[in-house]
Amino acid sequence: MTQGSRKKVGGALGEMFRTAIERPVTEQYPFGRKVVTERFRGKLDVDPVKCTGCSVCEVVCPAGVITMVPVGKKTVGSREVEIKRPTFDLYTCISCGQCVDDCRFGALTLSHDFELAVFDKKSLTMDKALRYAK
Amino acid sequence: MRYSPEGMMPFGPVHPSLKEPEYFKLILEGEKIVQVIPRIGYVHRGIERAAQERTWTKNIYLFERICGICSFHHSLSYTEGVESLYPFEVPARAKYIRVVVAELERIHSHLLWLGLVGHWAGFDTLFMWIWKDREHVLDLEEEITGNRVHKSYSAFGGVRKDLPDGIAQKVRAELGYIRKRAEYYRGLVQSEETLSVRTKGVGRISQDTARRLSPVGPLLRCTGIGRDVRAEDPYAAYDEVIPNVQTSTGGDIASLLVLRIDEVLDSCRMVEEALEKMPAGPFKASFPRVAPAGESTYHVEAPRGELFYFVKSGGGSTPERVKVRTPTMANLLTATEMLRGHTLADVPVVLTGMDPCFGCMDRVAVVDVDRAKEWSVSGEELRSYGIEYYRGRRS
Repeated sequence: MTQGSRKKVGGALGEMFRTAIERPVTEQYPFGRKVVTERFRGKLDVDPVKCTGCSVCEVVCPAGVITMVPVGKKTVGSREVEIKRPTFDLYTCISCGQCVDDCRFGALTLSHDFELAVFDKKSLTMDKALRYAK
Repeated sequence: MRYSPEGMMPFGPVHPSLKEPEYFKLILEGEKIVQVIPRIGYVHRGIERAAQERTWTKNIYLFERICGICSFHHSLSYTEGVESLYPFEVPARAKYIRVVVAELERIHSHLLWLGLVGHWAGFDTLFMWIWKDREHVLDLEEEITGNRVHKSYSAFGGVRKDLPDGIAQKVRAELGYIRKRAEYYRGLVQSEETLSVRTKGVGRISQDTARRLSPVGPLLRCTGIGRDVRAEDPYAAYDEVIPNVQTSTGGDIASLLVLRIDEVLDSCRMVEEALEKMPAGPFKASFPRVAPAGESTYHVEAPRGELFYFVKSGGGSTPERVKVRTPTMANLLTATEMLRGHTLADVPVVLTGMDPCFGCMDRVAVVDVDRAKEWSVSGEELRSYGIEYYRGRRS
């Protein structure tokens, strides 16, 4: 490997002129919105109709985002069991998608929404499954 | 504390909320560094202990957060380490996909490093150009895994999703661009004096020193010792997609620059080869969620060098012990040797040269013992000092 065979200052000038007339690659967010890829993992969303309250998502979540809340009771055979629905504290969500993979009812999806900066925690608490059940 | 007659400069710890903190005590004779004493422990996050409380699957996401740049290598090392406890085989296609993502990560990590060396050496134009080109690789990673940084892609038994349709063609096109750019940068870093005056002969280590202090990754290979885990102890599909282990002989930052660009070019070749040889079939096998009892030691070649994982399972739902040794830990002592004999102005470039995982220095306290004076300078001021120092030397 030969190094430093040619020494000069300004060897990058040609490239500098080329990039000077190039279109800027910086996107002027929020005026120009980034188009995310198909697989992009953004904000978590739940379909309250499909959710059965099985609690698997709560068990597998590595960030403790999901809490199952009892919303009523039902009788299965001779037993009385609690009906539960999930609430999501999305401000701790790491968008790994493990809950989406493990939800066998297809109730959970990761949307393409990445604008999660808010002023209060409450606006990132998602309890629509809870409200739907009630 | 007793001070020696030389000047002593405490280096860090930096502000934790900005970049990763680290502390170096630099013993100076005037401008010359005579001794460097590193002190670690400022970013102790208790991850290994936390892993003992979490299930095997949850730990994948925990370990990939050890490092943002080589996150896939952390999850890869952990998952392959745990997989070795199972009596099952990972599908061949999954192994090839792992090679593709791992090599893409190596390309983006090396490009990031090249840009940073440009920045700390006062060549910000290079920094901007390289980081612009790096975006192409990050976009590919997002397309394959769903995220640019924390990919969450490796899973027990394979990968979580198959490669998207038509990605091979897109990867080849983008890598063609990256290859062209890398070849241009290879010529530029060797010919441009702005860069070579800050890197040539700076941070030089000999082969004997490297053997004595055992650095890993590019820091070892730049001294001419061709050690690479991918070639010597192949994991994933590296026994089929064989790397050409790159070495250089300079042992200084300039040779590290060329070496890492050569590695980028070789990674481009490996990604294309892996895509070509990739067999059809399942991308994931079904592995039980509880790992069988046993111990496994596993190592992979992360962009910065050998990344080591030890996993002990008692057959329960959580690991009994996970031990991680990152490449920066192995390279730290060598970095202290690289700094010895150089001036204070070389500190930013040399410390960036080892590609540290603890970031750089945002706050520096300067102590001049002779004048009994103590003051603080920011990392940015130190960078400007380095640039001015070399500008003064040239004129």
